[in-house]
Amino acid sequence: MKQLAPYAEPSEVREAPNHSARNTPPGSVIVAACATLVPSDRRAEWQAEWLGELAYAWSVRQLGHDTPASARVALWLRALGALPDAIWFRRHHGGDSMLSQDLRYALRTLVRWPGFSAVVILTLALGIGANAAIFSIVNAVLLRPLPYTSPDRLVFVFGAPTDGDSAKVGRSSSYPDFADIRARSRSFSQLAAFSVRQTTVTGKQFEPGIVSGAPVTANLFPMLGVSPLLGRSFAAEEDKPGAAPVVIVSNEFWQQRLATNPNVIGSSISVNGTPATIIGVMPPRFTFPGATAVWYPAGEPNNPQTRGQHSFTILGRLAPGVTSGTAGREVAGIAKQLEAENPGDNAKRGARVQSMTEAIVGDVRPQLFVLLGSVVLVLLIVCVNVANLFLARAAARTREVAVRTALGAGSRRLARQFLTESFVVTAIGSVLGLFVAYWGSKLLVSKAPTSIPRASEIGIDGNVLLFLLGLSLVTAVIFGVLPALQMSRAMPIASLREGGRGMRGGMARRGLRQALVVSEVALAVVLVVGASLLVKSFWKMQRVDPGFVPDRMLVVQIQLPQSRYGGYADGDRVRAFYADLYRRVAARPEVQSVAVAMQHPLAPGWTSSFTIEGREPPPSGQEPESSIRPVMPGYFRAVGAKLLRGREIQESDGVGQPGVVVINEAFARLHFPNEDPIGRRINRGSWWKGMPASYEIVGVVADERFNGPRAPADPATYFSLAQFTFNDNWLLVRTKTDAQAFVPTLRRIVWSMDRDLPLENVQTMNELLGDSVADSRFSTVLLSLFAVVALLLAAIGIYGVLAYTVAQRTSEIGIRMALGAQRSSVLRLVVGNALTLAVIGVAIGAAVALVATRSLQRLVFGVSTTDPGVFAFVALVLTAVAATAAALPALRASRVDPIEALRSE
Amino acid sequence: MRPTRLTLPTAMVLMAVSRNYRYGFDISDATGLPSGTVYPVLRRLEEAGLLRSRWEAVETARSEQRPPRRYYTVTGSGTQAVRDAVERYPTLDRAFERPAARSPSPRPA
Repeated sequence: MKQLAPYAEPSEVREAPNHSARNTPPGSVIVAACATLVPSDRRAEWQAEWLGELAYAWSVRQLGHDTPASARVALWLRALGALPDAIWFRRHHGGDSMLSQDLRYALRTLVRWPGFSAVVILTLALGIGANAAIFSIVNAVLLRPLPYTSPDRLVFVFGAPTDGDSAKVGRSSSYPDFADIRARSRSFSQLAAFSVRQTTVTGKQFEPGIVSGAPVTANLFPMLGVSPLLGRSFAAEEDKPGAAPVVIVSNEFWQQRLATNPNVIGSSISVNGTPATIIGVMPPRFTFPGATAVWYPAGEPNNPQTRGQHSFTILGRLAPGVTSGTAGREVAGIAKQLEAENPGDNAKRGARVQSMTEAIVGDVRPQLFVLLGSVVLVLLIVCVNVANLFLARAAARTREVAVRTALGAGSRRLARQFLTESFVVTAIGSVLGLFVAYWGSKLLVSKAPTSIPRASEIGIDGNVLLFLLGLSLVTAVIFGVLPALQMSRAMPIASLREGGRGMRGGMARRGLRQALVVSEVALAVVLVVGASLLVKSFWKMQRVDPGFVPDRMLVVQIQLPQSRYGGYADGDRVRAFYADLYRRVAARPEVQSVAVAMQHPLAPGWTSSFTIEGREPPPSGQEPESSIRPVMPGYFRAVGAKLLRGREIQESDGVGQPGVVVINEAFARLHFPNEDPIGRRINRGSWWKGMPASYEIVGVVADERFNGPRAPADPATYFSLAQFTFNDNWLLVRTKTDAQAFVPTLRRIVWSMDRDLPLENVQTMNELLGDSVADSRFSTVLLSLFAVVALLLAAIGIYGVLAYTVAQRTSEIGIRMALGAQRSSVLRLVVGNALTLAVIGVAIGAAVALVATRSLQRLVFGVSTTDPGVFAFVALVLTAVAATAAALPALRASRVDPIEALRSE
Repeated sequence: MRPTRLTLPTAMVLMAVSRNYRYGFDISDATGLPSGTVYPVLRRLEEAGLLRSRWEAVETARSEQRPPRRYYTVTGSGTQAVRDAVERYPTLDRAFERPAARSPSPRPA
């Protein structure tokens, strides 16, 4: 016998005596490699056929005229055909049946280890679900382009202070400025302007209401590439002064107030007291700008007096080939010309462009990216944890695998089996995760603060599904391959022996698992540090004194239409109405106090310039500004703002009386740092007839945090509403008991005075206060949730490793105890093991967190992102969690019966 | 049995076998089709019951000091399929020459 044939014999020729090829034919290696693809029950036969052909062809060619080299090449080429043949075989035989066999086996395994399966599936469902939910928000808000034609070409033209003093120059522009920029610029193919105004709408079919309305230029909709669902857009001539009033309504407005009437076009509703014809209904979800319900033509308010009123926002479409940089330089140049031409109104007023997308989503980007980052961390922990669980189970299944190997299962076959098992688990986890994602994103949207833009566009979509599938695939491969890699190193004989511990393989495996636990702890540290920082800053925010008492207080805005009440210059009817309303509400027994003010304590309102009498007046356009907050007498007592000096606004501060003003602390600090402001006068010019120009400072109150708890109050001036009358004011009612219960009475009182006043949005002050921190609460709650999940997962991971280690070391512990070791020292051994892992993890995690928490910079308030207290707290918590997770395995180890343990050896 | 579509490669392989080209590599030589095409076609035809395979006599292989080869023959229902193939691709019939007499067994009836 020369040599053993390198092929397995087909069953039909098993009786054949030892034959051998003259030598191994070229290409047999390829056939042998391809044979692994063929289902094992057919493999020998398949390989025999190919080797038979190769051997024959080789023997023929060696006799023939071919040179050995060319014959060799020809056979190699021919042998390559074995690959498609093997693939065909795999597809048509065995492949399916083997897969279903694997699937059946995988499902049986799943049921046989119910605890393991449940933990893994739930962990995956949570991880994948939370990721998909957060990702769908990020996708809708940040990644998906805005739903307009070529949204990347749309840019805002914002006002920008040339000296960096943004308090004085805001983003908005005046209509004359807009008209000039439109006439002089070359960078835009179109330039539109819009404003946002609280608008009173009344009609026969619905209750009067205040909605968000937008005066727009006629070209806004065509420029965005959006057309009405019903009717038409504004015509250019409708956007001229004196044109017949027309209005376009939002889809939501059409459905809620106009009963989805298809014949609504041509009918009339009243907008701010003026009847207007409805000419269009916009498509669903279109509410730009903001949450607009009605649009009407701006009507070119283009007279020189309005150049100082910066109430319009300019949006443009870049001309072909123009970059936003070029456009920015051009508008800055035009702004400089306008400043030179109108030194008063346009002092220090520059201009810049910003992409529409950036302007809309730029503010929430850090918040959403922090959430996305933390949810990815959770996913990493999930992966590590599930891998860990799989490894632990693989270790527990060493004997099973050894038996199967001994019975002829190849390492590929085993790898396939493990891959199938992990795939089944991840598939179930993913499906559950999909449900979690669906409900999760719904919940998130309903709980999300209104400041999250584009919330109506959020939903699970194709991209999210793809993302989810990709995640499952990656996790399946990772979890499938790790145990398989281990198994391929397993020594079946050693494992089959009773009590065999797989010595070296076991050590390496334990090392890998300990590394996984350390990384899990480290990841958890990063998350918990982040969450703790947010919680601490939220707590600090809650403890900020808002400067007023929000309890049991109702707030509602009441807008008196100019058409019926007159306005501004003619305030008698307005003053009479509010005085009457004040009396009627205050007379109710359930009311403790009432206030009427143009702004409520959490409304920043708007500012206006003034000069301090007796001081050198600053150059024109550089006068200081203050928040304008006219109030009726009794306001400060009613809202609970502390009067620090002087007196309040009184009944005697009426029309025709000397002008008085109460300032806040911020105002006094800034303008009268070392002197008593009482008795000094400010001059803010007379806006309309009968209104004083000069006001004596009669009192100083503590700051109301009208910019929200995160920002300090700006200088504010509280005038007497009688001396500074506006049509739109807030009614603030503090009740003696439940505030909500008073809402119907309040409505009755107002409607008994004027049935057409809208009163739908009655809120409590606590609701408003909640809204002002809603952003922070949203991130804080979510991140805390993630942190708790991370802690739980880390605990499970530590427990898993220790439980496994204790089981592995049972006999060693037995020997120690037989040799006199105390239970306490065994406890110390196991818990010490856990603490070592935890301490290493905490150290690594803290180092990473120091860098990672920088991304929280914009989200925290009153806390440093490297707050040592928080870091110490987290280190303590993680160590405590590790010790707790170690307790059960440690107790188990300490109860090892030495006799029992030694007998099993 | 699945019905077999009579594609050109299938027809060529079927006709090659009916013309006494019985081993995979011989069929590949006779038809000019690569082995990676020929073998899956053979598997499919055998599964469809149009071909039958056997192993050559062990003695023959042993005498040449090589492993035995597998050969294919046309079954009864395969003969009809060969007729269909000729009808469908009439020019194919002329493409084959008779192979050298290496067949270990007579053609089936």
